[in-house]
Amino acid sequence: MRFTDLAQVVSENLLAHRLRAALTIIGITIGIAAVIAVVAIGQGGQAVIISQLESQGSSRYFEVTVDVMRGEAPTSDTFRLQDATLIKELSPAVERMAPLSYASMIDVRRPHSGGKPLLSQLYGTTPDLIYALNMKVEKGRFLSNIDVDAHARVAVLDAELAKELFPDTDPLGKQIFIQDVAATVIGVMQKPPSSILSMMNQTVYLPITFAQEILNSRVIFQLCGVAVSKEALPQAIEDSLKIIRKRHPASGVHYVGNSMEQQLSVVSKVTSVMTLIIGAIAGIALLVGGVGVMNIMLVAVTERTREIGLLMALGARRKDILQQFLFEAVALCLIGGALGVIIGAGGAVAVALLAHWPPLISFWTILLAFGFSACVGLFFGLYPASRAAALSPAEALRQL
Amino acid sequence: MIRVVDLKKTYGSGAAAVTALAGVTLEIKTGEFVAVMGPSGSGKSTFLSLLGCLERPSGGAYYLDGRDVGSFDEEELAELRNRKFGFVFQSFNLLPRYDILRNVELPMIYAGLPRRERRERAAKLLEMVGLQHRLKHKPPELSGGEQQRVAIARALANDPQVVFADEPTGNLDTRSSHEIMGIFKEMHRSGRTIVLVTHEPDIARYAGRILYFRDGSLIREEAVEDEVH
Ligand SMILES: Nc1ncnc2c1ncn2[C@@H]1O[C@H](COP(=O)(O)OP(=O)(O)OP(=O)(O)O)[C@@H](O)[C@H]1O
Ligand SMILES: [Mg+2]
Repeated sequence: MRFTDLAQVVSENLLAHRLRAALTIIGITIGIAAVIAVVAIGQGGQAVIISQLESQGSSRYFEVTVDVMRGEAPTSDTFRLQDATLIKELSPAVERMAPLSYASMIDVRRPHSGGKPLLSQLYGTTPDLIYALNMKVEKGRFLSNIDVDAHARVAVLDAELAKELFPDTDPLGKQIFIQDVAATVIGVMQKPPSSILSMMNQTVYLPITFAQEILNSRVIFQLCGVAVSKEALPQAIEDSLKIIRKRHPASGVHYVGNSMEQQLSVVSKVTSVMTLIIGAIAGIALLVGGVGVMNIMLVAVTERTREIGLLMALGARRKDILQQFLFEAVALCLIGGALGVIIGAGGAVAVALLAHWPPLISFWTILLAFGFSACVGLFFGLYPASRAAALSPAEALRQL
Repeated sequence: MIRVVDLKKTYGSGAAAVTALAGVTLEIKTGEFVAVMGPSGSGKSTFLSLLGCLERPSGGAYYLDGRDVGSFDEEELAELRNRKFGFVFQSFNLLPRYDILRNVELPMIYAGLPRRERRERAAKLLEMVGLQHRLKHKPPELSGGEQQRVAIARALANDPQVVFADEPTGNLDTRSSHEIMGIFKEMHRSGRTIVLVTHEPDIARYAGRILYFRDGSLIREEAVEDEVH
């Protein structure tokens, strides 16, 4: 039997049972669409979370803190201002290091603005922070070492705060009051890429020395570092901890180091597992669709046993019969698979548009879905087909 | 030439076993027209489907042109049915969703003939049985006699040596029956071997020899003196 004849016979048979074929195709379509949509949405979401985490800081970022898991909190003896500089000097693995003091609900306002004060976050730090958190300057400049050494009364605003305080004027060079202490705005930071994890809205950055004066506190919350390379991260953390412990033998707290890498890998592991679980559930839908195909093929074979007998009497070989039914099943699955890919991908794109994240439909997902539906067709078509081909023509002709 | 020796067929096993054919030995010469008669259940259809290789015997031997058919594998049997044999059934066995042209094409599809050649030959065969004006009709739109003529055209598709017919006139009125038998006579004249099962003595008289079956055995055979021509 020629291939074109086989294709013609198969399409004729499917068209002869249009409704039945359509229902089978719908079963497969739903399964494939579910798998593709779930995987695409899962991967898109994962990519978004990871890219946002990455935009929060350099991939070489790490931090040294006290062990908050044990309920520890830093005191004024936990970190000293010189610690950061020293670690940077002593460890070849550490490229940047900035101490960070922090306060929230800080009253920030313009002079002569009698109204409601703006409540902002305050970061006291050194120039290196900009590298650790991947921040970019929009206007003016960030803090400098001279500012820090001189306890300069200068402030850098983030985009959000700048917009609130100076909706219609250029903030550069203007005076603001931070907890009633006057400071001059020297820079505005760029808005970070839209972020579901953004915690940095309305922030004012000050030289750490100036911040300590305003807050009247010497507490440094953590050290934010950048390693020379991703590979050097463990070394950088180890060096930092060693130096810190040596310098504060009596601090009574546990110092810990975390890298962005660790956090990323945890997040991506969690989201992958979630995608896998939901994908597996969608896979069950696909399996149900496959059983539907088998059911239809069984019915088709039983119903057409007499026809099969006739075809064999006319000279069809078992191979021809087997081929014909297998092709019918595979054709059903592939048509269902193609529709499923279109619908599933459409659904994933729609969700991505609504959620403002990039649609992530990988070539592999589609290949997998197609391969899987072809296998479902082969697998579930094989049994009825081999049953049909096993009969002798006389037996098959006697049916019904 | 067909030669069978002690050909047997038993259906089922144990207590439920039915002996449909109890051991038949005979010869049918190439180009011979043979009719098979006998009461219902005497094994005529079984005999025919064994000769046509639609199923395998439970015992005995079958030689076709000196070759032992029992040693053929499934593929060779399919080839035999396709190229050397043609079948005509009482119930026509046409596929209702295809037009009659495509029905006649079927054996040629499995023979791997290219489409154009198939269509030409199918049309010619249908013209031969007088249905050239109905090519695009589907079987349910035709009368019984016309459907049986389509089935005959289909049986001749691959120019077979032997045509097996199991009560081809069983569902037809007298007039159509004799029209159909005229076509069989024509086939015989062109040199084909014909084995035909029938209940009607009138029909059997178209053959040159009649085999009588009873209880799965060949009990008698006779040459037809006043053969219909
Ligand atoms: N598949 C089968 N299973 C069991 N018994 C069968 C089977 N086919 C035929 N038989 C039995 O074998 C015997 C011969 O059957 P067969 O069909 O050859 O008879 P027949 O001579 O063609 O009869 P009829 O004139 O009614 O067509 C019958 O007793 C029948 O019941
Ligand atoms: Mg019979």
